[in-house]
Amino acid sequence: MKILISLYLKDLLRNKMLGIMVILVPIIFYPLIYWGITQFLMVKSGFEESRKVNLYYRIVDPGFSDLKDSIAAIRSLVPVETAEPETEKNGISLIVTRLNELPRYEVLLDSSNAVHKSFYGGLEEKLTAYYQTELEKLMTDKNYQKEYFRVYNIESVNIEGQNEIITKILSFIIPLMAVISIISSVAAASVELGSGHSEDKTTETTLTIPADRKDVILSKFFTVVIYGMLAGLVNFILLVTMIIVIFKNMIGQVEAGLADFDWGLIINFKNLSISFVSLVLIAFFVSLIFVTAAGFASKRKDGNIMVSPFTAIITYLPLVIVIPAIEPNILIAMTPVLNIAFALKLIISNDLNIAFIAEAVAFSFIWVIVMYRFLFPFLLEEEVLLGYSNTSLIRKIKIKMGKWKKK
Amino acid sequence: MEEKIIIKNLCKEFYDPQRGIVKAVDNVSFSAYKGEVFGLLGPNGAGKTTTLRMMATLMKPNSGSIQIAGYDTENDPRNVRRSIGYMSSSTALYPRLSPREIITYFAELNDYPKNEIPMRVEKIIRYFGIGDYADTYSEKLSTGMKQITSIARTIVHDPPVLILDEPSSGLDVIVAQKIHNYINDLKNEGKTIIFSSHNMGEVEKICDRIGIINNGKLLTVGTINELRTISSKYYLEEIFIYFVNEFEKRVENAY
Ligand SMILES: Nc1ncnc2c1ncn2[C@@H]1O[C@H](COP(=O)(O)OP(=O)(O)OP(=O)(O)O)[C@@H](O)[C@H]1O
Ligand SMILES: [Mg+2]
Repeated sequence: MKILISLYLKDLLRNKMLGIMVILVPIIFYPLIYWGITQFLMVKSGFEESRKVNLYYRIVDPGFSDLKDSIAAIRSLVPVETAEPETEKNGISLIVTRLNELPRYEVLLDSSNAVHKSFYGGLEEKLTAYYQTELEKLMTDKNYQKEYFRVYNIESVNIEGQNEIITKILSFIIPLMAVISIISSVAAASVELGSGHSEDKTTETTLTIPADRKDVILSKFFTVVIYGMLAGLVNFILLVTMIIVIFKNMIGQVEAGLADFDWGLIINFKNLSISFVSLVLIAFFVSLIFVTAAGFASKRKDGNIMVSPFTAIITYLPLVIVIPAIEPNILIAMTPVLNIAFALKLIISNDLNIAFIAEAVAFSFIWVIVMYRFLFPFLLEEEVLLGYSNTSLIRKIKIKMGKWKKK
Repeated sequence: MEEKIIIKNLCKEFYDPQRGIVKAVDNVSFSAYKGEVFGLLGPNGAGKTTTLRMMATLMKPNSGSIQIAGYDTENDPRNVRRSIGYMSSSTALYPRLSPREIITYFAELNDYPKNEIPMRVEKIIRYFGIGDYADTYSEKLSTGMKQITSIARTIVHDPPVLILDEPSSGLDVIVAQKIHNYINDLKNEGKTIIFSSHNMGEVEKICDRIGIINNGKLLTVGTINELRTISSKYYLEEIFIYFVNEFEKRVENAY
């Protein structure tokens, strides 16, 4: 089997058209998708409209209402007085209360948002200055000693910000891209091995070596899995390169403040290893489906026709994971490929839903058994192997159905 | 003489939506001996390929039995496969592997002793004169080169029985001549060779015995001289037509 796999793989890897397609597709698609993400992010944060940030504030103690004037003096910061500043997420929020005779500030901001951060600098200056004047006043009024007071009294609270949003987006984009690239390369490889070998009649010669028929066909599966993984790996490297070269540059240009995004949140050992395992599993499943589909065709042309609807379905399945509102459920766990992609998404976004993952694994297992028990035997039929499936297979199925009915 | 191939009452039916049930091979029996070249002669659709495929364990017969080198195709297909070299009617080479790689792979796949493979491959390449194009991708080779590579691939593991499906179809006389010489050499090495053809001249030239097959039925088996005596015709074309007509007469008489 090892020899067969090496033979198949060598022939496949030397197929330049296939290789070019596998590499070209992501080169064209990744930048497009990243462009899409950045647009999305910019709209979401409202960066592109203006370089102004709203400051939602409430001054609880009327004694500090003269703070309004000093806030209004900060350039590009638009003060908005509101009863509940803590509910506003797309700007900086400020609540001013009184503590020990002095102002106490509660600032809510997204610390990963560079724009927030830069405006916060100006705000902090004003707040501190105001605090100082109040302190001076207090000291002269009551004749207090300076040492008894904290000089600084700002409590800032980080709100869910850019980092979290990016983690969420990338946690579906990465599995999505990997899954799509694996699907496309596995589809191409399956057609080559499943239908191409029937067309070239090479299957006929490998079936006369002293090995089991099963092994010959299983070798094809494994070859396609390996090919899919190699393609996935190439794609992954391209993906990371794209992130570093193009994505970061784009971000730099729009000054969206992603430069200090902590990539370690997503690209770390845990995620990489889990992704790898999931991708192997996905490659395995997709191969199982595609080699079977292509196996029923005796020409590459027919193989493509057999495989393309599956490609469409399986490619669009993972798109489901883009919809953030979709929660893991039993239906997703039951759908092959999608369940693994979804589990991958959960893991990358640090949402370890053990129940869902267990369900996904269990159903994957059931799928493998179903395929192996009920579909694989058809692939071993001589009509299918030698390329006469269109006539005899349907009849075979009818005969089998008839037997079941009799039982 | 040692019987290497024994075929008894072999039948194979196919279902075709247009034609209904097709009896591709109908009650065929014959034997072939060690060191013999047996030619299966018949027109298109006669059932030659189907017979050879059943011998190569690619298809299961509906009834009847095949024994090759003492092994039954039904009960012991692995040992049958170990004993045969099968060449299908198309050259069936992996397009992006070179002849050297293909020959080496098939030596390995057929369990040829590992340490002897490099020597064996070199010997085969020299014998078949593949040297010039041994490292070119096979998709770039001419039909003749492909066919010769294909034969080299078939015999690399030195099997006692060779099953060749139309080994010289579509080749020019020079390459065809070469292939006939190879078949002759292999025969002298003591191999049993069964091949199919619809080329009368070729069959007449290199076969020890001939089986004429038409519409799935084996009409007769014998040496060219035996067939000449029975039919009292000289040319194989005439002999062929004689047997087809004789058979039809017999069928008519039966009604
Ligand atoms: N798998 C199959 N399914 C249906 N019909 C088949 C199948 N294989 C062969 N046949 C039919 O069986 C008959 C015998 O075919 P076979 O290929 O054995 O002929 P052949 O003698 O090799 O002809 P050729 O010289 O064209 O190669 C033909 O009518 C063919 O259409
Ligand atoms: Mg034929």
